[in-house]
Amino acid sequence: MKAKHRLLLPLAAAGVLAAPVWSADTAPASQDKDDATAEGEYTPLLPSRATADSRWNASSRGQVQLGAGYTSDDNFMFGQYNGLSSEGASLIGNLRWRDSNSGDSWWRARVDDLGLATREGQFTWGKAGKLRLELGFDSQSQVRNDSGLTPFRGGDTLRLPGDWVGGADTAGWPGLDTALHRFDRELDRDKLSASISAALNAQWRVKAGFSYETKQGTGDIGGAFYSDASQGDAALLPLDIDYRSSEANIGLSYSGTRLFLDGALEYSGFDNGNDALTWDNPYDITAGPGALAQAPDNEQYRGRLSGQWIMSPEARLQFDGSYALASQDQDYLDWSANPGVAIVQDLPRNNYDGEVAIGTFNGKLLLRPLPKFEVEAFYRARDRDYDTPRDAYPYPRGDSADQPGQALAVYNTAYDYHSHTGGAELAYRLPLRSRLSFEYAFEVVRRDNTAVRETKEDSYTLGYRIQPWHNFTARLEGSFRNRNASTYRWDQRYYALLDTELINATPDSQRYINHPDFSQYYMANREQWEGKLDLGWQPAEDWNLNLGLSWRDDDYDASELGLTGSQWGRLHLSASWTPSKDLSLSAYGGADRFESDQNGRAFRGGQEKNAFEIYPPLPQASDPGRNWSLDATDTSLTLGANLRWQFAADLALEADYNYVDTQGEQDLAAAGAADLDPQDYPSVDTRLHHFTAAATWQMNRRLSLRLDYQFYQYDSNDWALRGLAVDSAGQLLSFGAQNPDETIHYLGASAIYRWE
Amino acid sequence: MPRHPTSRARILIFLAALLLPLCGQAADDGPGCLDCHTPEPDSHVHDIFASVHGKLDGGGAAACTSCHGPSATHDRRGRRVPPDVSFGPRWPSDLETRNGACLACHNNGEQLMWAGSPHQQENMACTDCHTLHTGADPVLDKNQAVEMCGSCHTKVRAELQLPSHHPIAEGKTVCTDCHNPHGGAGDAALREVTVNDNCLDCHQEKRGPFLWEHEPVSEDCTLCHRPHGSVHDRLLVTQGPALCQQCHSAAFHPSLPYGGENLPGGSASRYVVGKNCLNCHSQVHGSNHPSGARLTR
Repeated sequence: MKAKHRLLLPLAAAGVLAAPVWSADTAPASQDKDDATAEGEYTPLLPSRATADSRWNASSRGQVQLGAGYTSDDNFMFGQYNGLSSEGASLIGNLRWRDSNSGDSWWRARVDDLGLATREGQFTWGKAGKLRLELGFDSQSQVRNDSGLTPFRGGDTLRLPGDWVGGADTAGWPGLDTALHRFDRELDRDKLSASISAALNAQWRVKAGFSYETKQGTGDIGGAFYSDASQGDAALLPLDIDYRSSEANIGLSYSGTRLFLDGALEYSGFDNGNDALTWDNPYDITAGPGALAQAPDNEQYRGRLSGQWIMSPEARLQFDGSYALASQDQDYLDWSANPGVAIVQDLPRNNYDGEVAIGTFNGKLLLRPLPKFEVEAFYRARDRDYDTPRDAYPYPRGDSADQPGQALAVYNTAYDYHSHTGGAELAYRLPLRSRLSFEYAFEVVRRDNTAVRETKEDSYTLGYRIQPWHNFTARLEGSFRNRNASTYRWDQRYYALLDTELINATPDSQRYINHPDFSQYYMANREQWEGKLDLGWQPAEDWNLNLGLSWRDDDYDASELGLTGSQWGRLHLSASWTPSKDLSLSAYGGADRFESDQNGRAFRGGQEKNAFEIYPPLPQASDPGRNWSLDATDTSLTLGANLRWQFAADLALEADYNYVDTQGEQDLAAAGAADLDPQDYPSVDTRLHHFTAAATWQMNRRLSLRLDYQFYQYDSNDWALRGLAVDSAGQLLSFGAQNPDETIHYLGASAIYRWE
Repeated sequence: MPRHPTSRARILIFLAALLLPLCGQAADDGPGCLDCHTPEPDSHVHDIFASVHGKLDGGGAAACTSCHGPSATHDRRGRRVPPDVSFGPRWPSDLETRNGACLACHNNGEQLMWAGSPHQQENMACTDCHTLHTGADPVLDKNQAVEMCGSCHTKVRAELQLPSHHPIAEGKTVCTDCHNPHGGAGDAALREVTVNDNCLDCHQEKRGPFLWEHEPVSEDCTLCHRPHGSVHDRLLVTQGPALCQQCHSAAFHPSLPYGGENLPGGSASRYVVGKNCLNCHSQVHGSNHPSGARLTR
């Protein structure tokens, strides 16, 4: 009943707001025309464009920037992506060069960050409207927290020192301190690309492209040894990464007068240079090594066709569909890398030989039955079908336990997925340059081998946009979505994964993995309300002010355990002032707050797995007294300002500042069981000040000098790292990495030479 | 007494008659845009000839009329009448006319889905982002494109500054790598048909299929990650182990509440510190190990 009322609300609101639509629609046509003429059309209030990058003069044929920069200290947050992670000097090298004076052909070249690990460049040559050739390279570098230590050495095989002595607990390992060493967690991507497109005639165009990318370096991953969950020991490991991917495509496009088509055949291949990561067991080096499988080589072939058919000036059809086959047949590793693990049964096959077919379709029909009335009907579909063998895997646990019998085999499972979404948006233009829209969408999702077979969702969105004055716009949007899940089949996953022998040996009431009262939020019943308000105002020609408010509330109304609700609120303000083409100043500020509530029930297995038996003493699985709750709240405050100022004819100044303050909190409570007393986490705070400034002095027509400065200060106190030494946790050998606390200065000086 | 033209006048009329065909010939040479729009230091009109658009229809004044229309009246009457298609600021033509000039050529590929796109619905003009009378359109320079998008999409611009983010603010990944500002047939004008296809363009190692799949991964990356930026490491929507426990509540350790008592200073727990659940279940994107059913191998 409650749901029905909620459904009626947006419909009622739509009715009220639709009244003016009706009255406007019934007004004489001549009046409509007069209104339109008098009012003009809705025009977005865009901030005046800031001056383009002052380094590059658009009228120059070529420009080169050369110089040197200095970073004050080693870091991993400031330089996470910009190539400035190491203390010391670096080369500044950038280039823009183009020519278009050779008949109908032209070319342009661009190089950025020549002296850094983030260097990239592109060369493009073309003949106007006929041919275009593009060559490029792009390097990216990502550094992560490198303050950690590890006793492991090696690449895809991690070894401990020969005299290593471990123990059941990380505390007191005699050789640990001397074995520890720093290692860089850094990934470098290097990509080469080429593409060509050529016009065959006025309608047909052919295109082709190829790219090859490597991703190499060191990441991190957790490795565990265990015979069962209560006997789990883990170690954080350096992960040697050696990826290569190749992509190729060839396509054909057609541009008629009413029909436009763009089709392509694409190939994507991924090749992993490492099949496995093998490591010594630091807890007991004599127990034999462990190994995990790295991402398997895989490839995907895809055909994609998108197009538009203009049926009439008032009707057009747009579509974008694809069909892909992704597959992999990477050879399996052995059951265990540990020769000490007793294996009695061979692998069911040598490789997975898995294939998944992925079909997608997005289509839109755009209609304008009346000059002020627009209709957009849409349909979207996604299909993921696995074509994979299903086998039993009686696997040894954690490279420690011997292979179990067939009864404990686990079966690999295919998770086919099918979704269909259809709906329509109706929009009507009203007086005062306003637009009222209403959208309804219906989505059905079907999943195989999951707890919920089918979910259905109705979505209603009402939007209203108005520009009552030429310098003011307001936009209001409200949405309601109601998702209904089919029967929650809490035993489905149990049946999908486990062997018949084990299933038959288990009482009906104990055939579950997740607790029967538990709902996975992304396929649970949900009512979602969402509202947005955006206001734009230009009090004067050189001012632009914006205010945005948004709010979302998710209520998982049928979930007793699991995520039960979340709320997201956001306030955002921005302002820009551009009194002349030589000066622009902009500022923004935003506050976000995200809250989520989740419940759980702490329970053990064995006899107490029966969640339905209600007799004293209650089994843990059916004892509400063992419930616990967790409320998480994340807040963030972001402030920023930007200045572009052509201070004098020969001096340009730029400055940019960003301040970010975030806080993450998790508060826990238990219903009262004596052995459950979870404590709140201390809040996780991060704070960033990032200031950049640049001055460009144009000495003469050809030469400019430029100074760049950056100040970067960042600190955080994440409890996952706070006070965590390598051996703080008895059953986890961690990196002992520290939270970042960086204060970095960067100074660059360069000359920019231009030629005509 | 009737007046008759003098001999001198007759000669002038005769010469004028001879010149008439020449005038007509001159008119056929094309519009006289560049007769008035001469290169001037403070005007960017001629900068277009340093770009590919300056070569349209053979270049010169023909390039002008290929976008601005024949503009015969403007040609004759100059400042008093606008060209057929004017992009402003003095005489802006209506939006459909202005954008129509661009869409006449740019009607496929990137711009195929312009009609009905969010920017089109917002009545945006092509020239709101693009600058034509320049040797190099700033928005086509990827470093400047992010700034251009951020000048309006300030909420996203703020998210890009959060502690965990893609290298978008740094200019290594740009908005247009994932979104097509000219529109798409799906949500958020994504370049690919689905969110996951977008992500897998760069993260091919997570494509699988894996022997042991983690089904939300192949369904929707955004169930766990926020692509524009997050308060939490690795773009996660919530910090673990709470994030994992939103979907996992099996007997024993997955069902237990893990609070601050599991931090250093108390009894530092492998379920909480470091990578929390991923200390052991590290293969959350899928495992291809025959012993990887629990995503630990």
